[in-house]
Amino acid sequence: MSSSIETPLHYFHGQQTGSGDAQVTIFESPLCGHLNLRGNPQDEQFLEGVESVVGVKPPTTAGSCASSGDISIYWLGPDEWLLLLPESRRAEVESELRNKLSGHFSVVDVSGGQTLLNVRGDGVADMLKKSASYDFHSNNFPAGRCVQTHFAKATALVSKKDDGSFDLVIRRSFADYLASWLLDAGEEFGCRVVGGGEV
Amino acid sequence: MQTNRVASGGRINRGNAVNFTFNGKAYQGFAGDTLAAALLANGVDIVGRSFKYGRPRGIVGHGAEEPNAIVQLGSGAQTVPNLRATQVELYEGLEAHSVGGWPSVDFDVREVLGFMGKMMPPGFYYKTFMRPQNLWHFYERWIRKAAGLGKAPLESDPDCYDKLNQNCDVLVVGAGPAGLAAASAAARAGARVIIADEQQEFGGSLLASQQQIDGQPAMSWVDERLAELGNNDNVMLLPRSTVFGYYDHNFLGILERRTDHLGISSPGQVRQRMHRVRAKQVVLATGAIERPLVFANNDLPGVMMASSVSTYLNRYGVAAGNNLVLFTTNDNAYQTAIDWHKAGRKVVKIVDSRPEPTGALVNTAREFGIDVMAGHVVVEAKGRRRVKGAMVAPLNDNASAVAGAAIRLDCDLLACSGGWSPAIHLSSHTGAKPQWNDELVGFVPGESKQQERSAGSAKGAYSLAGCLQQGDEAGREAARKAGLDGESTAASYQVDEQPQQPQQAMFLVPHAKSTSRAPVQFVDFQLDVTAAAIELAAREGYESVEHVKRYTAMGFGTDQGKLGNINGMAILARALGRGIPETGTTIFRPSYTPTTFGAIAGRDVADLFDPERYTAMQRWHQQQGAEFENVGQWKRPWYYPKPGETMHDAVNRECLAVRNSVGMLDASTLGKIDIQGPDAGEFLNRMYTNAYAKLAPGKCRYGLMLKEDGMIFDDGVTACLGPNHYLMFTTTGGAAAVLAWLELWQQTEWPELQVYFTSVTDHWATATVTGPNARKVIEKVCDDIDLSNEAFPFMDWRDATVAGVSARIFRISFTGELSLEVNVPAHHGRYVWEKLVEAGEEFGITPYGTETMHVLRAEKGFIIVGQDTDGSMTPADMGMNWVVSQKKEFSFIGKRSLSRSDMLREDRKQLVGLKTRDPQDVLPEGAQIVNQPEHAPPVPMQGHVTSSYYSANLGHSIALAVVKGGHKRMGETVYCPLADGRVIEAEIVSSIFYDPKGERQNV
Amino acid sequence: MLHIYCPFCREERDEEEFSYAGEAHIQRPLDPESLSDEEWGDYLFFRTNAKGIHHEMWYHIAGCRRYFNVTRDTLSYQILESYLISQQPGVRAKQTASAEQGEQPNAN
Ligand SMILES: [Zn+2]
Repeated sequence: MSSSIETPLHYFHGQQTGSGDAQVTIFESPLCGHLNLRGNPQDEQFLEGVESVVGVKPPTTAGSCASSGDISIYWLGPDEWLLLLPESRRAEVESELRNKLSGHFSVVDVSGGQTLLNVRGDGVADMLKKSASYDFHSNNFPAGRCVQTHFAKATALVSKKDDGSFDLVIRRSFADYLASWLLDAGEEFGCRVVGGGEV
Repeated sequence: MQTNRVASGGRINRGNAVNFTFNGKAYQGFAGDTLAAALLANGVDIVGRSFKYGRPRGIVGHGAEEPNAIVQLGSGAQTVPNLRATQVELYEGLEAHSVGGWPSVDFDVREVLGFMGKMMPPGFYYKTFMRPQNLWHFYERWIRKAAGLGKAPLESDPDCYDKLNQNCDVLVVGAGPAGLAAASAAARAGARVIIADEQQEFGGSLLASQQQIDGQPAMSWVDERLAELGNNDNVMLLPRSTVFGYYDHNFLGILERRTDHLGISSPGQVRQRMHRVRAKQVVLATGAIERPLVFANNDLPGVMMASSVSTYLNRYGVAAGNNLVLFTTNDNAYQTAIDWHKAGRKVVKIVDSRPEPTGALVNTAREFGIDVMAGHVVVEAKGRRRVKGAMVAPLNDNASAVAGAAIRLDCDLLACSGGWSPAIHLSSHTGAKPQWNDELVGFVPGESKQQERSAGSAKGAYSLAGCLQQGDEAGREAARKAGLDGESTAASYQVDEQPQQPQQAMFLVPHAKSTSRAPVQFVDFQLDVTAAAIELAAREGYESVEHVKRYTAMGFGTDQGKLGNINGMAILARALGRGIPETGTTIFRPSYTPTTFGAIAGRDVADLFDPERYTAMQRWHQQQGAEFENVGQWKRPWYYPKPGETMHDAVNRECLAVRNSVGMLDASTLGKIDIQGPDAGEFLNRMYTNAYAKLAPGKCRYGLMLKEDGMIFDDGVTACLGPNHYLMFTTTGGAAAVLAWLELWQQTEWPELQVYFTSVTDHWATATVTGPNARKVIEKVCDDIDLSNEAFPFMDWRDATVAGVSARIFRISFTGELSLEVNVPAHHGRYVWEKLVEAGEEFGITPYGTETMHVLRAEKGFIIVGQDTDGSMTPADMGMNWVVSQKKEFSFIGKRSLSRSDMLREDRKQLVGLKTRDPQDVLPEGAQIVNQPEHAPPVPMQGHVTSSYYSANLGHSIALAVVKGGHKRMGETVYCPLADGRVIEAEIVSSIFYDPKGERQNV
Repeated sequence: MLHIYCPFCREERDEEEFSYAGEAHIQRPLDPESLSDEEWGDYLFFRTNAKGIHHEMWYHIAGCRRYFNVTRDTLSYQILESYLISQQPGVRAKQTASAEQGEQPNAN
């Protein structure tokens, strides 16, 4: 079945701009499970219900993310989160959530509609400055923070990892545009797109 | 020959000669020169011709204020117009041309004929050229050619520009003494600091100063600051960077020139970078601009600003002449005479308008044996192509008139200083109203409208000690207000400086003759505005400074009147018998200096100009040679031409294939919104015109969405996925607007309704398989559900497995044929699409694009929102009252408006079909419809054509149109007069051309 | 470019992340059918178009997708407060900048 899958940046894997060694790497994860979760953050039962399935409560602090094992959960809005998890666990977690949660909530599979990129390297700070007006300086955006923001002329969910690199979750239909944008922005540093299978 | 280069000194590299051309002639300068410095070094007097009179003009200033030495660099695509030679760094091979002067700066027809001057009094455009109007185009071409506004290249710009977004605690504008002190103070307090300066080197006025700070040359102090700032990771130093605009909420634009000093083009590098800065606090340390003195023939080459004479001498090692007369109203300019004297050149006289100058610098000059003529003014400069002498006369007691005969002083350089004008431009951009300060004889920044403060001479502090102290204070205050509470002790920089005596206000130097009879006294050099013109404007009744600006063109040049404006306003004030504060000043607007379009565009050019959104099947479409159509930001296949086919051929083939066998459309771009919650059904009931509450799981329904004004906003199918769970399809272009619309009502009007909306547009890839053989195709790749019409009827949906992939299949139809829309997660999109193509091969499955989709739906009379509707169409207008439920309890969005009196008019434009008399005539979309084409104009309009195609299935053209009262006019004949003179006759018919009973989709 | 405080994201963001959503505090009539054409027209089409203090809705379309209210001076473009749709403004016209009065939700 895996041969039937094309991630949004499939046709960009291996592409490079700039000369010499690539200082910036854009790594596209293999297909992940992406679940959009809605619920009432004031409802302890909801928070605990989610925790019982994914191991951590949805963060209620604006612009923060949490993780437990191989599941990360990102704050998207006051009652909206993104769960990122291995695709192999997606169906199970999705149905578990439906079983454990009650009242007004929603769980929506959006795995086909977005992709997870990790950008790292020496020019990344400038690459982000070219792409978004948001202040990604570590004073303002330490590891553990996430933000949905305007990115070039599209949008992205950006988060900072413990190792200083950045994760980007972008929409599939904008992926070609954003990949071209990032390769262009990274050209002065040398920039390469790497696909999941190549690592 | 660099005849004017002095033997030593300056911040130039004499070991590195640089060759350049100016107006086609070859010259040599040194690395570190500006183009202006190198031209002066080579004794080039005339650098431009004036705008109206064609008078010869020379270099006046040394920075952004320069009005005359405006040049165009390079040629062809690689050219930049309207640069100030005073800000152009010299590089090997530089090629510059004056933008003024026709046919050349050395020979200007206007000067010889004296032609334009007489033709162009103030208001010349209005008075002379606007009547008769049809001649304006002729005049304009000629005026532009002669006036020299620079030439825009016709080719596309080969260089690369980009933009960087910056966030900082403190942005310091200007790296002179105040700016450097501010940046140091803010950085010490722990702030993230950006300091930008338009010059290639930091230091500002200190670059040409002989003063000392902390007992060492001023530039050593600068170097210390730069070392301190450079070692701080939180500080960004931006030389060659002009802060050109100050916008709302402390948002500022900086243009950084990264390679302009290296050559005209820089392949592979970023030529200019725009920094878009959001600063918590701003320090404006932009310095001051020396003010010229307005006297007769003050525009002769060789008349220069005093500080510029010193700058060329001290910084570039260029003496711009031999025998200097200094004309001043203040102490400060005495430094120029002192510098000139120390350089071994002759100071003929210092002419000081003040009766008893006694300041420390005055005494120093006298000690050097320089002769000071107190209480005197230069009333007129003499010479033709360069100043040869200055006519000097005594002033009366109140400085209002000359009090005696003029004598002539021979000289070849006349340095002038009318005091200083703080560079308040950026402060002005914020909306702060400039305040007149009598003591400083100038406008200072008004009350801050944003998080900013000015420091140093930008605020009117003209002593070095004052600049340093104000800068330090401003830097500390800015850091504190940015939330930094680090160290904040005042720095103490020691400067040995003596106090200066007050300057005299002098905006128009008296002449023995009246202003209108004296030789021209220029106020604005770039646009040739004279003191006489401003007085004339006042006599003609202009009172507002903004009107006078437009009438005389004062300050309208690319220099925005940096030199001339204050004098001009003061002359106007006097002519009106008012004070300067009441007369006020014009408002400076961005950009401070001209900014290249390339930098404004940045990387948002060519393929990156606007996002192109692709479906998962994009590469397949490309490989099939599809032509694409833009739908919003999406690229959708338009049609798939086979070799040799025209668009018409391809669309006819695709249309016939769908009706006769099977076709396939990529419908992934349709908006899709997942809707969940206990009140989801009720919510849909309120948003749609028809009823949704009772839609059962597994069922779909077509709905219309109105705006509250009753007009059709969007349409689409919504499916019930399960209890309290729906999937809404929207139009491709309307997806984002519909989601925002749903959220608006839920969040702001009905928060009590429990319902969540999640966009799943990108999650699903959709292949619409349609045509009589559609079921047969799906059967080959899907065996886990019963696809029969009985088990899976029209307007149902099912979960199924297609080509091994979990899918949803919807039996909905936009073609009127049997249709099965296969939805799979987009990462499987291309795979499943190709499997469907394989499965359909035996039926000749034909991929079709949006054009065929449009034809097929038009044959069925299905509307496209945004094509057949335009925001003024109701369901009734579209003949779609069948979708409007009057029974629903809740007054759905838009319902009340449907009964407004205007909605009940019988002559509203209504959707009908049109059949042209000649079946091969295809009406153009947008064609107007009239009843009587021979009617004398204005012809009463009946409506217009909204959709029009050739239908291969029907063998004739079809059109949809909106026609006044059209529903009751079936069979009537109407006419479409076309732009080419033809009149096409058509019959009003039903909008459903094909399968009127809708049987084919139900099979 | 405006810098707008989102009360949900709890920070200022650039204007380009938002879309303007019209005047705030306009309630939909509970029974539209009972209104005359004129009354319905007032609700539909008439807005204050204030010079000075103005209460308006913004949609954080590129961020948290929430609507909220902003009090903005239409002359200076200064934003005086951001507050929730369910709240009343802390700053009103005339009463100039006396933000303490009333329940001031969230200045920035
Ligand atoms: Zn937000």
